[in-house]
Amino acid sequence: MADRNHAAGLGTLKNKRKNVLGFMWKYKALYLISLPGLLFFVLFKYVPLLGSVIAFQNYNLFAGVTKSPWIGLEHFERMFSHYDFLKILRNTLLLGTYDILFAFTAPIVLALLLNEVRLVLYKKIIQTIFYAPHFLSWVIVSGIFVGILSPSSGIVNVILGWFGVEPIYFLGEDSYIRTVLVGSGLWRDVGWGTIIYLAALAGINPDLYEASNIDGAGRWRQTLSITLPALLPVITILFLLKIGDFLDYGFERVFVFQNPLNIQSSEILDTYIYKAGLQQLQYSYATAIGLFKSVVGLFLIAIANAISKKATGESLY
Amino acid sequence: MSKRWRRVITAGLVLAMLAGCSGNNGGSNGANGVGGETQGGTDGGPTKFSISMRTLNVSYVEKNPDINKDKYVLELEKMTNTDLDIRLIPHNEYQDKMVQMFATNDIPDVVQGTGGISGPELAGAVENGVFLPLNDLLEEHGQDLLQFIPEEAWKRMTDSKTGNIYGIPEILSNPSRRATWIRTDLLKKVGKEVPTTVEETLDVLRAFKEAGVEQPYAGRQNFKYADTFFGAYDVLGYLNQFKVFPDGKVKPSFFDEENMKKAIQIYKTMHEEGLISKEFATIESADFKSIVTSGKAGMWSMNANELPIWGTQLKENVPEAEVALIPSPVGPDGKGGYAHYNPVTRSFFINAKAKDKAADIVKFFNWMVSEEAELYFSFGIEGEDYQVTDGKPVFEVPTDAAGADKMRYLNYWLWMVQDTTYNKRVSELSDSGKALIDAFDHMLASEGRRGIEFDPRLEAMVKYPELTPKSDELPPLILEHVLRMVYGREPIEDYGKVLEEYLSKGGSEIIEEATKRFNEKENAFE
Repeated sequence: MADRNHAAGLGTLKNKRKNVLGFMWKYKALYLISLPGLLFFVLFKYVPLLGSVIAFQNYNLFAGVTKSPWIGLEHFERMFSHYDFLKILRNTLLLGTYDILFAFTAPIVLALLLNEVRLVLYKKIIQTIFYAPHFLSWVIVSGIFVGILSPSSGIVNVILGWFGVEPIYFLGEDSYIRTVLVGSGLWRDVGWGTIIYLAALAGINPDLYEASNIDGAGRWRQTLSITLPALLPVITILFLLKIGDFLDYGFERVFVFQNPLNIQSSEILDTYIYKAGLQQLQYSYATAIGLFKSVVGLFLIAIANAISKKATGESLY
Repeated sequence: MSKRWRRVITAGLVLAMLAGCSGNNGGSNGANGVGGETQGGTDGGPTKFSISMRTLNVSYVEKNPDINKDKYVLELEKMTNTDLDIRLIPHNEYQDKMVQMFATNDIPDVVQGTGGISGPELAGAVENGVFLPLNDLLEEHGQDLLQFIPEEAWKRMTDSKTGNIYGIPEILSNPSRRATWIRTDLLKKVGKEVPTTVEETLDVLRAFKEAGVEQPYAGRQNFKYADTFFGAYDVLGYLNQFKVFPDGKVKPSFFDEENMKKAIQIYKTMHEEGLISKEFATIESADFKSIVTSGKAGMWSMNANELPIWGTQLKENVPEAEVALIPSPVGPDGKGGYAHYNPVTRSFFINAKAKDKAADIVKFFNWMVSEEAELYFSFGIEGEDYQVTDGKPVFEVPTDAAGADKMRYLNYWLWMVQDTTYNKRVSELSDSGKALIDAFDHMLASEGRRGIEFDPRLEAMVKYPELTPKSDELPPLILEHVLRMVYGREPIEDYGKVLEEYLSKGGSEIIEEATKRFNEKENAFE
């Protein structure tokens, strides 16, 4: 009896393996085509991950990974005991939060607005104007913002002057810099972010709108009851991906706006890594901070994914 | 189907391998061949070597499609019997690219560094034995270099523990490179004399303001090229501005609390009265240049050797403008000026793996200080760029932009080992050039501030980047507070507390190490 069961088990296992191999053989062309892509990810995404071990070493450029001495968690201790660590972490978290509150929601709103525009040419023009800035580098974006926010000649202060407001040195004050950072990011990338939503909007079945029209639903009702629910899966997925980058606000976009007058609010992990790690050739230290960021990101993504799976049924994996 | 696939893939792999191998073989064969030739040295074939060089923002170099085929490089090769393979390193990514080069072990035969033997761009290459000690080679093949380059510069190239010389330095004989510039036409207009003290300077700036000058003193981000008054009070506090204090400790000069407070007060006054731009904290180098050359500024600080170029540009925009270099305003000790530069501007290191060719490479650099080289790099190719009449070279200084680019390339970039203070032969040919020579030799030579410098830098500095002074900026922590004080957000009286903060955040470690190294004379320069 037991023997027979065992044999049967083996049989199905064999069958299964055979099935998989047979399946692969059947679609060998597709597997071959995907090979370069897989190789790319293994070579350029997974192999470099192994380099993270230098976070636990005192990495020496000339000794390489194999011969550099191991020092355990020293770099992590150094990071947590840094006198400004809490301030830097706080700035990073605040910017991340603002980014999700504003930079994540703005493209959704813009896409909905664009979707309501009936004149196609007008819509295209607006769309192009909105996503053109995405192609500017941060250095140029900062140049533009320094110009328009200048207290002596910038247009913003000129307009404020009409209402009797004294010129404000926006880039020279801690209290304004986060607004400037989030605002510049919004200006640069809001149009770009709408593309996916517009594609999703185009995919909604027009019959739904027609039917609701007959039932007497107005524009607002339609948006709430048809458009938004239809967008929700896309929003969820994009939100989950965004959560993973919560601590990665980006180095360049902050660095180009930094100066000693606003550093108290603008120093974030990414810029600190550059100054304390890369500029001083402290690769291990920089890697340790980067690793900390990645691990936090991984946890956030796992938690958000689990919640979303429970609540909406949508999830990344 | 499957067989065909296999064949296709096999063929692809074979091709790839062939390509890879043949490439490698070709490369190493070539190198070996030349190495052998030069070692023998009998057939007199050119010495072939690779050299990495920073582009230094020289537009002639950056715009050149292939610098190795440039006619001046080819001519240089002909004159020195060499075959150069110049590898350009982009100016703005210099440190990153250099480190990459060392990390991938793709190191050329000659590596150009900036300054001493332990700069961050070298990433510790000297300690790790990447480069050849040059003492014997210099003794044998580099006598002219040994004579031309002063002891002070050689010291920067020497590991004080072993006495080994690791690089050939290009020098700056007059380290007082920056100067105070003033618009003399405005000075005449307001009826003032050239100011000598800080107080007189403020008076002149106020008069400029009244006369409608937009920015009487041109300010710039982080007081870069705007540190005239820190210089006057001798509190620049940069990497080479450590001082022995009365308590016997070696500290950065911004620890002079009393003078520092006075200097900050000057800037605060200027900011309040509008003598400096209200937004100088966000003015970058390009804006700074356009403010000066468009005639909006009355007084500023800039490298003296820019006089012919900036002066011309200013005149193009504002025809009535006259500009002069003046002695920098002096502080309470009767001295003033800017932080001195490192006596070494560029340095050339020879790869230990290029041992076979090292003698010929040293000869190549030895030629750089010869009279033939001076003539070539000053004027260019005979018959094309200049003529010889009655045995004397006749040269006309080009005035157009392209000509100026070419001169910068020849005079400054391609001439690898020289005294970079100014180009004597070219400067002597023009009025602004003569004024420049005069300023350097008679005025700048006697001003400027210098202190103690450590190279390799202090270990504590690597640990505390926010407390580390830069080559021409205060440490970020100090700078932040100073700027807040100038902008009126913190009282100047609190400067003492800033110093306490500096000490408590790790500054005491820096001072301890500095004092120890200075007392033990371990790679400390005065």
